[in-house]
Amino acid sequence: MATDSTVEFPCALSLDIPFPDARLASVALQALRVDKELSHLVRRDLSVATPEGSTDPTVLRVQYQAATNRMLRVAVNSFLESIALVLEVQQELDVDALQSRQGSAGSG
Amino acid sequence: MDITKKRRRIALGCEGSANKLGVGVILHEGDLSDPSSCTSTVLSNVRHTFVSPPGTGFLPKDTAHHHRSWFVRVAQQALTDAGLSPHEIDCICYTRGPGMGAPLTSVAIAARTLALLWNKPLVGVNHCVGHIEMGRAITGASHPVVLYVSGGNTQVIAYAEQRYRIFGETLDIAVGNCLDRFARALEISNDPAPGYNIEQLAKKGGRVLLDLPYAVKGMDCSFSGILTRVEELAAQMKAGQGKGPDGEPYTAADLCFSLQETVFAMLVEITERAMAHVGSSQVLIVGGVGCNERLQEMMGAMAADRGGSVYATDERFCIDNGIMIAHAGLLAYETGFETPIEESTCTQRFRTDEVLVKWRK
Repeated sequence: MATDSTVEFPCALSLDIPFPDARLASVALQALRVDKELSHLVRRDLSVATPEGSTDPTVLRVQYQAATNRMLRVAVNSFLESIALVLEVQQELDVDALQSRQGSAGSG
Repeated sequence: MDITKKRRRIALGCEGSANKLGVGVILHEGDLSDPSSCTSTVLSNVRHTFVSPPGTGFLPKDTAHHHRSWFVRVAQQALTDAGLSPHEIDCICYTRGPGMGAPLTSVAIAARTLALLWNKPLVGVNHCVGHIEMGRAITGASHPVVLYVSGGNTQVIAYAEQRYRIFGETLDIAVGNCLDRFARALEISNDPAPGYNIEQLAKKGGRVLLDLPYAVKGMDCSFSGILTRVEELAAQMKAGQGKGPDGEPYTAADLCFSLQETVFAMLVEITERAMAHVGSSQVLIVGGVGCNERLQEMMGAMAADRGGSVYATDERFCIDNGIMIAHAGLLAYETGFETPIEESTCTQRFRTDEVLVKWRK
């Protein structure tokens, strides 16, 4: 990370979000990195990482840098709301989740 | 499998550009080499509306929160109603725009996630084109002038050479926005929608037609001045000072009646102007304000005078919904259009004529 950006954006936060497998971490990464940050005073970096003792990139890593704490807080809160949606969709609407719902619902 | 070779083609569509969250599934059947033989069937159309308290409107942040909270439930219901599982769906369609930023993006994130989980292509759809294509499919209107009227949009559109061209539009706010904000001034309920409640209240008016500005400007129209004036009249009425032309106090019902008569007459005028320009006698009304029966009646009278007719859909399709996004998206997908995930952003401004309507001659 360049020293210039830490001077301009002194407020930083890093989050590591664990996923059950690399596929789901990758889905989250691809879904969330498309939209730009709304403010040019906030920088966001999204990537997948491999946790200690593992060989698979099952962790979604997000690194925020912002000009003020308030901007950082707003951006991170917004990100958390988006990732909560991604997680809920993964949990309830993934192929296997729908199959088991259909199975337990029975016929008709 | 190449979509153009399939006889049954299915799309799931997601809509959330304003306060309605909709997910729908559509089926297109038939041989694409003979488009006139193809049929469209609605397999499911599920919607949940974010209703704000009387006297308020819906704000982007709260609306996005509503869409995020309801997406899974609405999508599950849409799949259950259609009786389908993910592998039977050919593509995921979502509203790219126009509309409100945060709500649009919240739905796009969910749509991208589905597309990635189910390994299906994504198709970004123009909200206005969705309304038009659904109106055409449901009513069978062949060559209409389209009046697209909602809380967010007011446009008069005619199709020519693979574009839906805008012949006339509002110069400031949408007619539905004028109605919705007027409802706030009178604290009319937003449930199920402010415009619906204004329509019901207007039926009790009609004793007097209050004088409101009439703002047609060539092929375009303007509503913000009318809103200012009708809000003034509402304030006078609340202060006990509102008197009609006959010297008697006017009521909320009189205000609703007068506002509708004025703005709808303006819409009829600009629609008629486009019909004369284009040489069409058919009118197709789409968008939430298109549910209004008084508007349909006034438009019908004008069309009949010209030897034509009005086409309109019911609230399942004229109010924002997911099935129109699925339908328009699938039409585009069948011509080879697709939106790569990295490009699946949303945009608050998206002109109707920006879309190349490749699926029509």
